[in-house]
Amino acid sequence: MASDSTEASSSTSDLKLQFAPFSSSLEAGFWHQLTQKKLSDYRLDESPKCIKGYYYNGDPDSLPTRLTLEFSAFDADGPTPARCCPAPGTLYNTNTLDAFKATDKKALLEKEAKEIWDAIQSGAALKKPSILSKFILLTFADLKKYHFYYWFCFPALCFPEGIKIIRPPVNLENVFSAVQIAALQEAYDGLCIKRRTTVAPYFIMKYTEDTVDLALLEDWETFFTDTKKVTVGVYDPCTLSQHPGWPLRNLLVLLAKQWGSKLDLVEVLCFRDRTLQGSRSIHHSLIFQIKLPELSSNSVCPKSVGWEKNPKGAMGPRMVNLSECMDPKRLAESSVDLNLKLMRWRLVPSLELEKVVNTKCLLLGAGTLGCNVARTLMGWGVRHITFVDNAKISYSNPVRQPLYEFEDCLGGGKSKATAAVDRLTKIFPGVNAQGYNMSIPMPGHPVDFSQATLSQAQKDVQQLEKLISDHDVVFLLMDTRESRWLPTVIAASKRKLVMNAALGFDTFVVMRHGLKKPMSQIISTEMDSSPTCSSASSSSSTPAGSGTHVPGSSLFSNIPGHKLGCYFCNDVVAPGDSTRDRTLDQQCTVSRPGLAMIAGALAVELMISILQHSEGGYAVASSSDDRMNEPPTSLGLVPHQIRGFLSRFDNVLPASLAFDKCTACSPIVLDHYEKEGFIFLSKVFNSSHSFLEDLTGLTLLHQETQAAEVNHTPTHTDTNKPKMDNTIY
Amino acid sequence: MALWITYEMTFYYVILLRLFTNARLLLRCAAMTETDCCVLDEEDFRRCCRLLLQRSEQLRDGWSWEVVQGSDEGYLRKTALRSVPDPQTSTCSSRPKQSKEEPDCASSLVPDSGRGELDEEDDGSCIVSEGSSVVLQYEYHILYSSSYSTPVLYFRAFTLEGRSLTLEEVWSFVHPNFRLCLQNSPLNALSQQEHPLLGQPFFYLHPCRTEEFMKLVLTAAEDKHRPMNYVLLWLSLVGPAVGLDVPLEYCIEPQPSDPE
Repeated sequence: MASDSTEASSSTSDLKLQFAPFSSSLEAGFWHQLTQKKLSDYRLDESPKCIKGYYYNGDPDSLPTRLTLEFSAFDADGPTPARCCPAPGTLYNTNTLDAFKATDKKALLEKEAKEIWDAIQSGAALKKPSILSKFILLTFADLKKYHFYYWFCFPALCFPEGIKIIRPPVNLENVFSAVQIAALQEAYDGLCIKRRTTVAPYFIMKYTEDTVDLALLEDWETFFTDTKKVTVGVYDPCTLSQHPGWPLRNLLVLLAKQWGSKLDLVEVLCFRDRTLQGSRSIHHSLIFQIKLPELSSNSVCPKSVGWEKNPKGAMGPRMVNLSECMDPKRLAESSVDLNLKLMRWRLVPSLELEKVVNTKCLLLGAGTLGCNVARTLMGWGVRHITFVDNAKISYSNPVRQPLYEFEDCLGGGKSKATAAVDRLTKIFPGVNAQGYNMSIPMPGHPVDFSQATLSQAQKDVQQLEKLISDHDVVFLLMDTRESRWLPTVIAASKRKLVMNAALGFDTFVVMRHGLKKPMSQIISTEMDSSPTCSSASSSSSTPAGSGTHVPGSSLFSNIPGHKLGCYFCNDVVAPGDSTRDRTLDQQCTVSRPGLAMIAGALAVELMISILQHSEGGYAVASSSDDRMNEPPTSLGLVPHQIRGFLSRFDNVLPASLAFDKCTACSPIVLDHYEKEGFIFLSKVFNSSHSFLEDLTGLTLLHQETQAAEVNHTPTHTDTNKPKMDNTIY
Repeated sequence: MALWITYEMTFYYVILLRLFTNARLLLRCAAMTETDCCVLDEEDFRRCCRLLLQRSEQLRDGWSWEVVQGSDEGYLRKTALRSVPDPQTSTCSSRPKQSKEEPDCASSLVPDSGRGELDEEDDGSCIVSEGSSVVLQYEYHILYSSSYSTPVLYFRAFTLEGRSLTLEEVWSFVHPNFRLCLQNSPLNALSQQEHPLLGQPFFYLHPCRTEEFMKLVLTAAEDKHRPMNYVLLWLSLVGPAVGLDVPLEYCIEPQPSDPE
């Protein structure tokens, strides 16, 4: 609509001068500085503030006419970039969005216009013409969301019937000779040097065939002897070939008010001064002639315009969302991501970070292992971390458990699960952490003392089942063997990846549980499952360094993920109450302090490597032998187990098959769990070892073994094993 | 057995590593004595920057030397505006979500404030420009990387509202010819990195191939006994990929040349 009228008017004989309005241009530094000022200086002060913008007359074609505000805008008397023209402004920063909305824009414009008008009438604008390019900036800074609402106004006084063009705009080089252009450039530079600046926003001009004289507006009376035709120059930020920029508007009003009655014709030079490819040119400046309309002789301020349109071309404010670059939380998030992306860009181009970042991790246990696992997960950018623990923080914890502090132990101690969540959020607000202060029912720890304990156990089981369903990876990081049983069963049944870490004094095991095939596939492959029935403790039967090993032909190499064992597969005893009849050092985790960090970190790194494998938890287990081969993932091997010996500073990577008589993941246990649910579980909790051992056939195995042992060498029948050393080397 | 392999491997690995490092050092020394021009130390970098600045001043090209407060470290800085086709009107790339939402958000304010009160129209004295392009503000920094012994080009870009562009948006504004070339070589790519002196997130062109291609150009220049400003030459090669053009006039030295 508006552009139509532009074309229409330019085709008529009665040409009216049109101006290119300013487009506001803000550097990020401006918003940063406004935020600083608001927080530390203005606070709730809404009074108008002096600011400063600038415009430039050297842009290449096609750039919009801009008024730029940068971080230095608040230093109203500070320097302006070289060859840019400063424009004084008034900042109205409101405290609320409502105040921003309710501000009377019309009144604000009229107030500023009146000031310009007064300066024009009094002649003050002649001495200080920068007042002609005053602007208003209305802002509201929502510093919670880092949303900035703003609206610029570039007040311009209007001639009611427009300005008639006598000679339409042409490039200077079409009117001036090369000599004149050179003389103009020299005269302009001379004027700037005289003013000790790099720009002259407005000037007056006389020229002959080979000379050009320039002077400032204030010297008008002495400069012009003949006022029939005068030439005025304006530093013009516009790049359009037919239109001057906004700064000319108020100058023309000034001319009309001061000398209008004496002037027949005004020649206007829109001075444009650009340097392209190293060569300076003013040839493309515009020159045209106009007839100034008369202003009514009374001193009433003319109508004014100037509020900037928004990007849709409508009258309205603009809004910019800078949370990405200003909100400290967002900055932390993007920095964490950036750090990880660097890993991909620089070292592991095929790393699939999305798989890692979107993995939901359930941490069962928020002690030494849990704390270290959580921190390593955060390092990998994992956002969804859930803790389950029923313990309170005790005075001995903070030195080994890096999510807790002394303060957390006071008054009986905070709950670990919730304290860990608080700390994670403090470390990185972008984390989505939750904590559950609950117990995990255990075999051999009866729950049938009362109806209340029974229903509590049932609730806990339900809760745990729901948590495991809702997560992608379950970390077993508890300090007893038997507490790992229930989550092992549930996770095996729900086909969730389980990462298990357990500590001895100076040994540890980190392992992934075998991931059972999806239900649908199991039925079809049940027939050919003969190798899974192998006789228990697998690779562990090969003593380390025995020298009998033939490279590449291990009996237990290339075990696919679904045939791998779980934590209980290597055991020939069912989990029971391991804390009964124990000395203190057997009941508590007594391990070398660095061990939890090593094992916790390895557990996470193993999970990451598995996630990078195309088959995930079904990936064939890598063994120590595979250290020589092409790794299966961009990050390297995906072992079944990492067993570490701190005394020797050594790790080995055994792999073992699932045991068909396993007390946790064998088909018969899973079958009972899936069919009977809590009824089956409560039997396990309330009974002694023998229940599970009878069920899985371990009892029978024991009897057979004992019978065999009687005939051969006597060996251990250790049922009172330490927590982790259930694999023999 | 497994243990034995591990120890054995570690042993060989260490030896290999040593050999490799030594070889690299030797190569490096050879390279330095052979073609001294290809290695840029920090002093050279500063000297090149000073020369570039001098010429920039003459050419009004806008470069300035910025010093980091409280240190003697600094970098070359220049800002420039680029007018690029509006992704909203062209189909090639997706406009960031924000810019779609923002005008709506902001214009929802209008009914209360704008209408009625501001039925301003300028009786045709104000031209309306059709915007089929967006204007972006680019800020370029040239820093010295002591790890790579090369200059590194850092930059960031803003909309006229002051919002920083995302990496995806920056990619979309790289000229298609360059885009393919840069994307195909992951290590030579455009990526995001913390500005080493300012600590703010910037984009940069990865420097790990710089020495390689500079060697080609510099030895060619040396053969012709042509004096070369390493930084300038490098900038003219990498700058255009991200919209930073180096005027030819930089290489046409004004006569007489400076005493150096």
